[in-house]
Amino acid sequence: MIEAVLQLRNVTKTIGKRNIVDNLSFDIPAGEVFGFLGPNGAGKTTTIRMIVGLISMSKGEAIVKGVPVRQNFELAMTHIGAIVENPEMYKFLTGYQNLVHFARRHSGVTKARIDEVVKLLGLQNRIHEKVKRYSLGMRQRLGVAQAILHRPSLLILDEPTNGLDPAGIRELRDYLRKLTREEGLTVVVSSHLLSEMELMCDRVAIIQAGKLVDVRPLQGYKDEQGTKIVVEVGNKSAARELLVAVVGESKVSERGETLEVAADRAAIPELTRMLVGAGLEVYGIHAVQRSLEEQFLEITGGEMVV
Amino acid sequence: MSSLANLIRNENMKIYRRPRTWAMVGILILALALMSGVMKWDASKKDHTDWKQDLSQQIVSMQSNLDKDPNMGQEQRAWWTEQIKLNQYYLDHDLNPRAMTPWSYVNNSASLIILVTILTVIIAADMIAAEFSWGTIKLLLVGPASRTKVMLAKYIATMMFALLLLLVSFAVAFSLGSVLEGFNGLNLPHLAVGTDGVVHEGSMIVDSLQKYGYSVVSLLMYVTMAFMISAAFRSSSMAIAFSLLFMLVGNTLSGLLSGYQWVKYLLFSNIDLTQYLEGAHPLRPEMTLGFSIGMLAAYYVVFQLVAWLLFTRRDVAA
Repeated sequence: MIEAVLQLRNVTKTIGKRNIVDNLSFDIPAGEVFGFLGPNGAGKTTTIRMIVGLISMSKGEAIVKGVPVRQNFELAMTHIGAIVENPEMYKFLTGYQNLVHFARRHSGVTKARIDEVVKLLGLQNRIHEKVKRYSLGMRQRLGVAQAILHRPSLLILDEPTNGLDPAGIRELRDYLRKLTREEGLTVVVSSHLLSEMELMCDRVAIIQAGKLVDVRPLQGYKDEQGTKIVVEVGNKSAARELLVAVVGESKVSERGETLEVAADRAAIPELTRMLVGAGLEVYGIHAVQRSLEEQFLEITGGEMVV
Repeated sequence: MSSLANLIRNENMKIYRRPRTWAMVGILILALALMSGVMKWDASKKDHTDWKQDLSQQIVSMQSNLDKDPNMGQEQRAWWTEQIKLNQYYLDHDLNPRAMTPWSYVNNSASLIILVTILTVIIAADMIAAEFSWGTIKLLLVGPASRTKVMLAKYIATMMFALLLLLVSFAVAFSLGSVLEGFNGLNLPHLAVGTDGVVHEGSMIVDSLQKYGYSVVSLLMYVTMAFMISAAFRSSSMAIAFSLLFMLVGNTLSGLLSGYQWVKYLLFSNIDLTQYLEGAHPLRPEMTLGFSIGMLAAYYVVFQLVAWLLFTRRDVAA
């Protein structure tokens, strides 16, 4: 079991009588790029603001590297770097002065470290210019630079792709990958854009109306949940019984005239042999990669705002 | 975890890297120069060569005033008597009280502390509210520093700015005075009649610092008030508007309402401590220096508490 960098325990935010965020509990293991996915207004930003202490929790606890944020805010914050929504910096200061500003809050961020981070994010050419002359993409990078100066274990980015053009998003994705690799960071990003999450994240937590719907792996983890085998047979109910007996009730479902089995492509020869062996008429059998979008819509009941 | 010293350095950087801060210092220096120029010009119009005769005449007229009006109040009588004693002392020791010295300029610069207050109120009003309007409050608070510490650093930085302006005003007035009048009058003593009824020589610098001290009370209160409004309501325009409003109409208002007993509980009725100096009358007869200091302390604590409670408790939502 890998150590969880961030643990959420029954995190709840109640405003009035409504639970904006309702009993969220999950763990984020080290070294992952972890996504918070959900439609607008699902409570992603509220959750992130609660983790970093901008909004108070009504109930529950966020634990960063074993340190509870509510009880020991200052210590917990030494493990976290964050950008909440747009990376607003002091526009009348240069990029470098901004970094010095944020570096001073931590003990042990040296000048050499600032230079290293500047280079890591490719800002060295314009770091001494005033931030008001930066493009949004550059501010985004400066924001990330600010967030990783103190070598945090956890980097939290709230809607980091908001307002970025496709090149900017690609760039962001590239240096997030680089950071997890070179700095051993765990990254949490939130977004309502599925396509971006697919590109960036190892796993996503899907949140809807403040509740956790599911936590599931994405790219690189194409497991049986992502693939299904579609079977067209003559006698559907007989085939279903047979399949349930082999793979279990939960993995078999009916859709129209076909049966769907949640299983890997590799299971196809075995299943075919079995069905044919039982004397059933097999008209077709093939593997389908369920798109994440399809999964997502299924999970959130079609309320996705893309 | 952040050290308070580093947080204060950050706040200072944010104050002094903004060009408008230096524009403010410039305005203050300009005002001081203007004031000194007018003083010099005004003094040059007057002829002080026969100051001894002037003083003697004044003594005679004051004495006749005292003799003519036997119904004069106890306090007023004491004040006239003191003035006569002082004038006599000037004559006896060959000290010209109307001679301009650098200290005259410094003393007059105390009246410009209201400008220092206004400028510091503007800075204080922006301290917290601007972080909200810039959106930088999020990054500022997501750090290893509690909100209490962040707020304290900001308050200290504001007070350091006020101190800087006070030093600038003292130093500039003194330098301009020295340039215009030379250093000759520097050792001129400051005269005062003590409780024993005898004239004492004091030092001019102590007198100037005292004048500054009285003005610093209102500086401290109004700046703290602006800071509170900035922290509590996150709006710098509101902070500036209310603080300046109270500052400018407060005195008039408490003067108008001085017939009512409750007026003594108002902030601005207590803010001018010179009302307890000898020869002056407090706003209401039952008010004492101790009472006013107590009221000011109470207001100060309430300001800080309100700012702290609202700044540390309220959510920072989008």
